[in-house]
Amino acid sequence: MRPILLSGHERALTQIKYNPDGDLLFSVSKDQVICVWFAHNGERLGTYKGHVGAIWTVDCDPSNTFIASGSADNTIRLWEIKTGRLLKTWEFPTAIKRVEFSPDGSQLLGVTEKRMGHLGTIVVLNINPDVDAEQSDEKELTIVCDESKATVAGWSYLSKYIVAGHEDGSVSKYNAKTGEVEDNLPVHELNMQVTDLQWSPDRTYFITASKDKTARLIAVRDLQILKTYPSDTPLNSACITPKKDYVILGGGQAAMDVTTTAARQGKFEARFYHKIFEDEVGRVRGHFGPLNTVAADPNGKSYASGGEDGYVRVHHFDKGYFDFQYEVERELARKQQQA
Amino acid sequence: MSTKPRDWADDDDLEETTQTEQLPPPQTIQNKDGTKTTITYRYNEDGQKVKTTRRIRLVTHREVVNPRVAERKNWPKFGLSANDKVGPQSDTTSVGENIIFRLSTNWKKDTKEEAKESATDALKDKLKDKTVKCRICNGEHFTARCPYKDTMAPVGAEGAADVAAGMGDEVSVGAAGAGKKGSYVPPAMRAGATGGAGERMGGKFGERDDLATLRVTNVSEMAEEGELRDMFERFGRVTRVFLAKDRETGMAKGFAFISFADRTDAVKACNSMDGYGFKHLILRVEFAKKAA
Repeated sequence: MRPILLSGHERALTQIKYNPDGDLLFSVSKDQVICVWFAHNGERLGTYKGHVGAIWTVDCDPSNTFIASGSADNTIRLWEIKTGRLLKTWEFPTAIKRVEFSPDGSQLLGVTEKRMGHLGTIVVLNINPDVDAEQSDEKELTIVCDESKATVAGWSYLSKYIVAGHEDGSVSKYNAKTGEVEDNLPVHELNMQVTDLQWSPDRTYFITASKDKTARLIAVRDLQILKTYPSDTPLNSACITPKKDYVILGGGQAAMDVTTTAARQGKFEARFYHKIFEDEVGRVRGHFGPLNTVAADPNGKSYASGGEDGYVRVHHFDKGYFDFQYEVERELARKQQQA
Repeated sequence: MSTKPRDWADDDDLEETTQTEQLPPPQTIQNKDGTKTTITYRYNEDGQKVKTTRRIRLVTHREVVNPRVAERKNWPKFGLSANDKVGPQSDTTSVGENIIFRLSTNWKKDTKEEAKESATDALKDKLKDKTVKCRICNGEHFTARCPYKDTMAPVGAEGAADVAAGMGDEVSVGAAGAGKKGSYVPPAMRAGATGGAGERMGGKFGERDDLATLRVTNVSEMAEEGELRDMFERFGRVTRVFLAKDRETGMAKGFAFISFADRTDAVKACNSMDGYGFKHLILRVEFAKKAA
């Protein structure tokens, strides 16, 4: 497996995201530039310039027309993917830590930072699917997180709920129409921040990564913990691979401690766990800083990781990855073949 | 050309020394197995005519791609990449070194064992180059195990030499080196440096013979030290090969000593090389007896 190194950023990566078709890869970093790459060969298609602060988050809409980005310059910006044109800027009192389009693309949520007397909030904006249309300034919904600020959030299946991970290690479920809290459960250790939340392809369950060194698979319906993936390092990101039943975790000790340890001890590896059996099945080395973000290709053919070292590494899986099976899986396949 | 089976990707360079004015026109022949053979002629730098024959097989690899994806591949680049050419640019995109990524159900156990093995290997390698030497009496043991640990100062310390000298024959070599007083004595200089290399070597022989030296007899007269080394190196690190040679004729006398860094390797070598046929003679390998 030869990874493709994308070196378009000058500072630490903050998030990477595949588009729903899996052919484009968006990367954002603290250097204020959004890059879009072709996932199959690592060719850079373009950059989106306009933000004047570190960019924390990016998301692509389901129609592959827009991307939204949230930045420390207190704005969410909407861009046209094809041309790099800035379509809309929404201003907020504090930095934006996470954006995500709803599954139908009609709405966009943004998580705002708690700072300078402002509480952390989750805002929902309406999106006009026409590229040339004027986007509205109105906020459809504002959820105020008065207990513990939200760090990550996303839409569940059918845009029914908004699920958010909090700084105190809890996960809560809001009604996406009314903004009411329906559930709040402490899934990670107390005051261990939830650092990432990524969805299964059908959005009925999700994976959270946390500073408490575990990642957990959680069902949307009742926020029950389905699976736990323990590791030996604080985690920054986790994702679920389509096609094969794995999860990929990325982490490494905090960026501020990096210079004091060797790369080997830093644990800057992407870890593969079996989604069902919770066993660690492999690791991929390569970064020389903690992994800030991992993303799985919706087609299941590759995955990408972005590190504090400023590199994005795109890995296209070998045949061995697809062939690997547990003994029980192999048996099941055999039985199904006979039946 | 077509008589012998060839790989289709092979180039065929046929040089002709006779210079003709006119180059024959390039030929293309359709083969039965679906390949094409093209023959072209050209002159090389020396003015020689070169005939190049290529067999080409065209394989059409069809892939069904989402039309939206296909369309996006033709999008013009923008932003910082606006002036880039088609294809990945070397300044932003590069290919990393190959990573062996193998999934395994007991991944943790595998890597732990690997790590352990490599750790012991590394330790072994490190120790192979070094003989353990006591800082107090220069004996072949760790300083902590030294019998004189409590009664003597380390080599090089004030007065150590005299005390050591009085202690008996075991420490005499070390004491000689320690006569040079200084804060730090590099290992190479510690013992035998003042007395010359020969003395030190002589002193070392007895110790080494004990440990891992094999005596090989019935060695052919034609044998060379290098050959013996090659033969025995398969079992471990060989530190010394001595082949007794006649001073006048330069022929081997028929016996040799092989010293190994590791005694276990020596045992292995002894067991497997005894009775080995080498240059029409059957070797006899045994552990060397200590010199009287």
